[in-house]
Amino acid sequence: LKRLTRGSEIPGDLTLEVDAVVVGTGAGGSIALRELARAGLDAVALEMGPYSTSADFDQREDRMIPRLFQEAGGRATADMAIRVLQGRGVGGSTVHNTNLCKRIPDPILSLWAGKYGVVGAGPEDLAPAFAAIEQDLTVTEIDAGARNANNDVLRRGCEALGWRGAPLRHNRVGCQRSGFCELGCAYDAKQNALKVVLPQATEAGARVFSDVRVMRIEHDGARVLGVHGVAVDVQGVPVASVDVRARVVVLASSAVGSAALAHASSIPDPYGQLGRNLRMHPGAVVAGRFDARIEGWRGIPQSYECTEHLSHDEGSDRRVWIVPAFAHPIGAASMLPGFGADHMAAMRTYPNIAVLTAMVHDETRGRVTAGDDGRPVLAYEMSEQDRVQLAKGLVASARLLLAAGAKQVTIPAVPPLRVTSARELDAIDLAVLRPHSVPLTAVHPMGTMRMGEDPKASVVRSTGEHHQLRGLFVVDGSLFPTSIGVPPQLGIYAMSLHLAPRVVERARAG
Amino acid sequence: MSTWQWAVVEHAARRITAADRPEGGPGSVVPTSDEVDVAGFVDGWVARMPERVRRDLGRFLAYLEHVAPVGAGHLTRFTRLPADAQDRVLASLEASSQPLLRAGFEGLKSLAFIGYYRDARTWSIVGYDGPLVGRPEGGWR
Repeated sequence: LKRLTRGSEIPGDLTLEVDAVVVGTGAGGSIALRELARAGLDAVALEMGPYSTSADFDQREDRMIPRLFQEAGGRATADMAIRVLQGRGVGGSTVHNTNLCKRIPDPILSLWAGKYGVVGAGPEDLAPAFAAIEQDLTVTEIDAGARNANNDVLRRGCEALGWRGAPLRHNRVGCQRSGFCELGCAYDAKQNALKVVLPQATEAGARVFSDVRVMRIEHDGARVLGVHGVAVDVQGVPVASVDVRARVVVLASSAVGSAALAHASSIPDPYGQLGRNLRMHPGAVVAGRFDARIEGWRGIPQSYECTEHLSHDEGSDRRVWIVPAFAHPIGAASMLPGFGADHMAAMRTYPNIAVLTAMVHDETRGRVTAGDDGRPVLAYEMSEQDRVQLAKGLVASARLLLAAGAKQVTIPAVPPLRVTSARELDAIDLAVLRPHSVPLTAVHPMGTMRMGEDPKASVVRSTGEHHQLRGLFVVDGSLFPTSIGVPPQLGIYAMSLHLAPRVVERARAG
Repeated sequence: MSTWQWAVVEHAARRITAADRPEGGPGSVVPTSDEVDVAGFVDGWVARMPERVRRDLGRFLAYLEHVAPVGAGHLTRFTRLPADAQDRVLASLEASSQPLLRAGFEGLKSLAFIGYYRDARTWSIVGYDGPLVGRPEGGWR
């Protein structure tokens, strides 16, 4: 990456004066940075994590998880019920995700316009941005020939039950089907922020600083003045302070990071909206043991979906998205219930296991604040309605695995539930399937600085600019007023591109 | 980690990664958690964690060492219990009615398995052939 400076390369305390500073370099931040630079503005991006290239991605869980994930993969909600996997490093979560590209569903965009007062971001407004991003990232459907055995289990289950299922679209070119997508692509096949968008941004003149943690947004209560951060070396030891004065500050550190930074910076929040309305798209897994070898760690991890139980209508009782979710041995060992001899015996069946995950298009409203050290604190207590959806999703996943030929299905609850037939499945008490009983994971936080025209019910305007603080923009998943029920990366890229003219306009005008 | 925390992790990891077949032990097909230095790995991992995570882990390890055995009917600290009693203590945490204790157990279990299954010697146990990057001729061993 041209015009990249690592934290360890900053010779001493650094002060910059630019037109715009972008905090975070994932889907939203990379696009904002590129569009600012292409408009001829002096723009820099600050990224808290390290810069990696394909040569760094060694396909080892123990080394890549701490490198690519926040808090070494250990981030969780305050009550420890939900593990929250989020990216860190240049390229953000686009580096470790599995390349799923789904547009924000039209009913969701219409809901935002109708109920949440979002202006100018309806299906027709966003269509050009989606089309442009899909072209930038070379988004294509994964054909049947590239579908691995774990994904084919889901297809077979859907067909056997007559449930709605379909291939997924991805941003990958030259994929070697190694199956290590979640640990970074060693083959540079991911057409993501790191590979595509940030190089375009720096080619246009933008600068990127890695290993710089922004501690505070500087402002005078009415407009932003810049940011203050700290650069660290490869060991995480602070080496320099970094102060950037700018007319525009663009937050793109995720619905968790951006809201926590805004809290830590005491930005105006007269109606107490900041950090509220956290949605997580939480999910849990179900494993099926087959006679045949699945070897789910090989091939493209997620290329098929089941949408039989997913409706994007508000208040629907069908709010579960089911996709394959295979893991490498460390992830699988953590997911399987129990420990000791029984656990190792179960791990010996690893090559014969297929895994699905049920993710809830949630309506629970959590909250992100900042702790004393400025790091995010996530409060999220799943509502009873969402818990019911989770339970239904786990049972539906188990039904799919059995329909595809699984000899035994395990729902890793405490105690674990093991069934060998649909009849046994019908007898399960769904009330036992709840947070803390079932290990939950969330990878799609959204909604903590949501957009809308009413300052009493939103944090930023429909333009992405903060209601009270001129020059502060948000371009990540924080913007979304609700869960979108699908992976958000494409939606974040597109929303950032859609809002970019407003960011550019403000950076020019001051 | 402190010396006592190291000891608690070492003892817990031995039980969490215990082999399902009698051949487990030095020089056998199934390496022990001591052979792959799970405690040492956890020590390095935890050192990179934020202060509040280290503090929470320390509290959980103290609970495991001093309080959880009492709850499972033992008046001896965890690290001085025989293996079968340690298993019962760990099982009581896994099935605890207290969500934070269950979460603490799951966290410790995850750390133990990261430390264990990171080692190429464990991969043949589960039929995994390991990363393609850097794979030695003849495969990982």
